[in-house]
Amino acid sequence: MPKKKSISYAKWGYIFIAPFFLVYIIFTLYPQILTVYNSFFEYYRDGLTIVGPNFVGLKNYQTLFQANNAGYVPIIKFLGNTLWLWIIGAVPQFTVAMLLALFFTSTRLNIKGQQFFKTVIYMPNLIMASAFSMLFFALFSQVGPINQLLVANGWASQPINFLGMRVTVQTLIGIMNFLMWFGNTTILLMAGIQSIDEALFESARLDGSTSTQVFFHITMPLLMPIFIYVFITSMIGGIQMFDVPQVLTNGYGIPDNTSTTLIMYLNNFLGISKNYGMAGAVSVLLFVITAVLSSIVFKTINKK
Amino acid sequence: MKKLLSVLLAVLMVLGMAACSGSGSSAAPAPASSDTPAEPTAAEGKVLNVWTWNTEFWDFLGKYYADEVVDEYTLKKGDVTIKRTTYPSDGGAYQDALDAALLNQANAKDDEKVDLFLAEADYILKYTNSDATMDVKSIGVTDFSNTYAYTVSAASDANGVVKGVSFQCCPAAVIYRRSIAKDILGTDDPAAVQEAMKDWDAFDKLAADAKAKGYYMIPTTNATYRVYSNNATSPWVVDGKLNIDANIERWMDQSEEYVKNGYTAYTSNIWGDEATSEMFASGKSLCFFGPAWYFNFSMTNAQDPEKGCPGDWAICQGPQAWFWGGTWMLAATGTDNPTMVADIMNTFINNEEVCDALVAKEAQFSNNQKVNNKYATDPNFGSEFLGGQNPNEVFAELAKNIKFENVTQYDQLCNEGLQTYFTEFLDGQVATRDDAINNFKDYIRTTYPSVTVE
Repeated sequence: MPKKKSISYAKWGYIFIAPFFLVYIIFTLYPQILTVYNSFFEYYRDGLTIVGPNFVGLKNYQTLFQANNAGYVPIIKFLGNTLWLWIIGAVPQFTVAMLLALFFTSTRLNIKGQQFFKTVIYMPNLIMASAFSMLFFALFSQVGPINQLLVANGWASQPINFLGMRVTVQTLIGIMNFLMWFGNTTILLMAGIQSIDEALFESARLDGSTSTQVFFHITMPLLMPIFIYVFITSMIGGIQMFDVPQVLTNGYGIPDNTSTTLIMYLNNFLGISKNYGMAGAVSVLLFVITAVLSSIVFKTINKK
Repeated sequence: MKKLLSVLLAVLMVLGMAACSGSGSSAAPAPASSDTPAEPTAAEGKVLNVWTWNTEFWDFLGKYYADEVVDEYTLKKGDVTIKRTTYPSDGGAYQDALDAALLNQANAKDDEKVDLFLAEADYILKYTNSDATMDVKSIGVTDFSNTYAYTVSAASDANGVVKGVSFQCCPAAVIYRRSIAKDILGTDDPAAVQEAMKDWDAFDKLAADAKAKGYYMIPTTNATYRVYSNNATSPWVVDGKLNIDANIERWMDQSEEYVKNGYTAYTSNIWGDEATSEMFASGKSLCFFGPAWYFNFSMTNAQDPEKGCPGDWAICQGPQAWFWGGTWMLAATGTDNPTMVADIMNTFINNEEVCDALVAKEAQFSNNQKVNNKYATDPNFGSEFLGGQNPNEVFAELAKNIKFENVTQYDQLCNEGLQTYFTEFLDGQVATRDDAINNFKDYIRTTYPSVTVE
């Protein structure tokens, strides 16, 4: 008696996911490997002459960690800038987003017109970051409307050079990132809170717990997976910060390179001389930093 | 049935993606003109691609060369369509895009090849010294008898092969506000004003007088930068090493002094809203610096009919002779329209009618000595913007001494970078001048791997 063949549907699963992997390999994995490969080569343009690719081993990485004439290593300073610029935007972003998410999901408050508010707070995220940055650039220029307002009302004796001072430039970048992303975070956190069983909140309330107790003992622990996800994606986004400071400072990271982020540094290598070797080295470093920071965050927050 | 359906779905998905990527790649290059006949009617191409970073030359091309202006980016001359590709100059974006196009020139379709591109003095060497440009004599541009010698040597490679021509000559001057000069000096006569700022010492003294009357000598410290950098005695890069000329140091000294004494309105970029706002009638700055193209093309705020002050300006040589910029047309190797490229070049240097119009109607200082000199001695010729003054009289004299020296292909970003980082020092954002120079050096290190920075 011939053995009856069982019908396997497994191959359909593979066929369905194949397109994603194909696209991933061609457009993500291959360029990534190429980036790592390029980072070991001297490969740039001098005018219209292409120099390289010549294998130079780890020389690009050495160059990256060389101290400059002022005695510090530029990339370390830029890493510091990047993290700082992310933090000053992320702290208000998460605080406000968490509060809004709690208000919107609270069955006690039962806020009316939620749909409207959700749309409004999400709105800034729809504007292109560079356009948003350009808008701030125009608003805060020395002859821009903000300065005109300040001077006309006597709040400032002369126009303030918002785009030339460290504190104001960094603050503006923080504000822009906050405005652009708090809506997105709110929506994600709301989804997370809504997925928690309502019965838990109800029973806690019946037992007489305060809102603070509910938040710390029910909401937060159960929200953790989503919160970690949002936090890590925000951090990765922060490490990759580029368009807002680039446009606001015209690519120079003014003043004193205090708003130059890692990606802006990378972009400078890819400017006129298309220095794929050095840019590759920065990218690889960036990858390592992102991986390390993400795992640290994951480990610390996820600790039971 | 189910199986059939799932196969169909999978195929559709893949097809959909293929279609997306397909349309994506075909949409990227500019579509070739749709009315190209099936068989080639002439040996030369039907599309002439011109690369620019602004519309100055393009407007002249539309007015004085093309038969028809189709739209902002398209002109027609005979049956050839002239197309414009423009990128901003700032931060090297134009050079960047142009380099990519030129390096791809051999693979590009005929109608997409760069045929004619513009370049500035700051980086013209990069193109003239490469194979991306070709000998214009070989395509029929041979008569340079009326052009200014420096415009020819600037467009020549190391062996003296001429790769392009300029449609303008750019001796530069001080462009001052007549009403402010009158208030300070009691006269707005160019000869008297020139006497009052005949060298930098006199200029500084006048700056103090201006301040005493409540004016600024200059709109921004960066306004005088080009005068100093143009008079530098050594190039930005010497033997592959970054070199900061003594004259650049002198500019830094002056800028520091002017900020300290309040002689300058701003410290900003000369193209920015701050400095250009000083061109309005409400501005309090006496001196702007630039050649003919600066006051007719870049001083639009001063020409503004409501807020501007056309007619309240005049020019004089200023503290030091210099020239600034100039736009050269270069012939791209591989062009499929060599005849038209040569024709355009010849038109803008040798067609007296066109050069005449450039001077008389566009306030240009053309690259045709005969035409310029005719107007220089014409007592009836004057610029309305300059309150009737004859700019050619001043420029013709200044043009005699221009030498194209100490130029490198790295100049644009060295100039932009130094001004940007030094301005941070002027704004008090870095503690010392050395800090500013260090930031500039870091910038050059990142920007130009081939330049050694010590």
